Amino acid sequence: MTGRRSREPRAESHSLETHNTVFAPHTPRSTSPITHAAASVVAGLLASLFLLFLVAPVAELVVAGGAAGVRRLGSDAELRGALARTALTATAATLLGVLGGTPLAYLLARRRFPGRAVLAAVLDLPLLVPHPVAGIALLIVFGRESVAGRTLLEAGLRFAGSLEGIVAAMLFVSAPLYVSAAREAFARVDVRYEAVARTLGDPAWRVFRRVTLPLSLRGLVAAAVVMWARAVSEFGSIVIITYNPHVASVLIFDRFTSFGLAEVLPAAAALVLLSLLPLVVLRALRYERSAGVEA
Amino acid sequence: MIEARDLSAAAGEFRLSDVTFTVPEGGYGVVIGPAGSGKTTLLETIAGITPQRGGTLRLNGVDVGRVPPERRGVGLVYQHAFLFPHLSVEGNVAYGAASASTAREVADRLGASALRGRDVRSLSGGERQLVALARALARRPAVLLLDEPFSALDPRRRAVVRREVRAIHNEWRMTVLQVTHDFTEAGLLGDVAVLLDAGRVLQYGPPERVFREPASPYIAEFLGAENVYAGSLRPLGEAAPDWLAGTPGEYAHDHRALEFRTGALSIYAVGDAPPGASYAVIRAEEVTLAPAEDAPRRTSARNEFRGRVTEVAALGALTRVTVDVQGTPLVAALTTRSAQELAIVVGREVTASFKAMAVHLC
Repeated sequence: MTGRRSREPRAESHSLETHNTVFAPHTPRSTSPITHAAASVVAGLLASLFLLFLVAPVAELVVAGGAAGVRRLGSDAELRGALARTALTATAATLLGVLGGTPLAYLLARRRFPGRAVLAAVLDLPLLVPHPVAGIALLIVFGRESVAGRTLLEAGLRFAGSLEGIVAAMLFVSAPLYVSAAREAFARVDVRYEAVARTLGDPAWRVFRRVTLPLSLRGLVAAAVVMWARAVSEFGSIVIITYNPHVASVLIFDRFTSFGLAEVLPAAAALVLLSLLPLVVLRALRYERSAGVEA
Repeated sequence: MIEARDLSAAAGEFRLSDVTFTVPEGGYGVVIGPAGSGKTTLLETIAGITPQRGGTLRLNGVDVGRVPPERRGVGLVYQHAFLFPHLSVEGNVAYGAASASTAREVADRLGASALRGRDVRSLSGGERQLVALARALARRPAVLLLDEPFSALDPRRRAVVRREVRAIHNEWRMTVLQVTHDFTEAGLLGDVAVLLDAGRVLQYGPPERVFREPASPYIAEFLGAENVYAGSLRPLGEAAPDWLAGTPGEYAHDHRALEFRTGALSIYAVGDAPPGASYAVIRAEEVTLAPAEDAPRRTSARNEFRGRVTEVAALGALTRVTVDVQGTPLVAALTTRSAQELAIVVGREVTASFKAMAVHLC
């Protein structure tokens, strides 16, 4: 047609270039059914072996020492004390982690600011440092020889050889897990829920309380449970800062080196059971979440 | 009133630039534009959700550039509703309500009261939109921003809710700005139409004018004008078929008689466009068809062409007929009944006609 207008190319046009490689049709290679079946068998075998490797030691430990561990709780005051101390310090570390980590996680999930990526990387640093090294680093900062340590000591806070030291070590190694998971939980809440709430008259902090927090609560609880479980299992940094009083992991190490494998089994099994408790809670939360919350 | 002057904002990689338009106080504006043109970003910028980068934005005379969303007096309804899933239907409607009675009133008027007691996660898309509308209206905002708020409603319910929203708008004297893909809705609801593309306002004004007098061929095509031609324009002066001896060569408002040539076709038009390269837009609804054997006829249409029907597409009550006129396709929109009465079929010789005033030059 001569007169009909052909549209001029526009700077903003979004043409799909179907000839490029991105949109090139994919032609899968055909595989024979036998090859496919063999690959499935190999993959299944590898997955089973991997699963066995992860589960067998824990299962064996619980089977071998679980009943004795539960019985021992009645008669072994030191074990009872260590487990209670572990639960208590892990809970304290988790509460501190939630208090400090929640605003940080929200900031990382919602705000764009210079140095955000660096901050996120720095927060992961404790996960990369070997745990005894983390203990040494904490000792340098909060030990009696340091300015901070002396100042805190004058204020009545002693880190080396104290419950506070255990809490600090647990907080240091496990808080990054909380911040990371909490950040994910906040990121899953669509910002448009918050936008609507703002237009309905709520300032930002009230939107956080009325909308963001309820919608991310399960994720935050799950993050706290992961942090708690990680704190309970911590050994490397605690053994540097506070060998005594013993937490469960240090007690197990102590008994193993002093009395051998048979003597340590009930204590080890008891610690496993304590660690499993929050993991069961976590799985239940995850199941409930996947069962149907509006995206 | 919504008054945007050179408004700019950024949402990720997307830029809203130099957006200028006004919706008068108590007016109903509609924003139309292709997907990705920035319609939602515009609403979010007015609501204060997306930060304003430049220009000025006044709501009811107040510069709200630095005013947080909760103090702008705006209500925002997203296409996907975004009902708070941890609250009930009542909890959602009451969330920011001006009063319990207002919440009840709007829920009743929009038909959302029937959903009371339902878990919001069990609602259909249309029901969610109803609750989201009720939630925003319950606050009695001075400015209501709607992002395709009726898109998930069934046609019958859509008409009812649309009418009710219009009625509430009139009663409360709110200013409304609504994003829509539906040109009929834009024409029905809008006092002002804002046409947005790639983050810029292409044209704004009364919907009638935007649809009848698109500012560019692109707008014309976007708005569904089927006959858009590139060609050249020259003034006819005394050679115009309507020129009366002794009268001035110009009509009122600087309008002149013009000849628009495209291919072998010579179209008679009236307008104020300068001579030279130009585009002509003729809406298909303006073109009438008659069997060729009926000619010659006496009619006020100054453009009359013989041609052959090349395509007939019946779309329910309407039929779209393409006629080849000296190598140029001309589309006419007829009622299906009239197409049947005139026995319009492919290959039939017809006379296509339209008035000089129906030719929009841009």
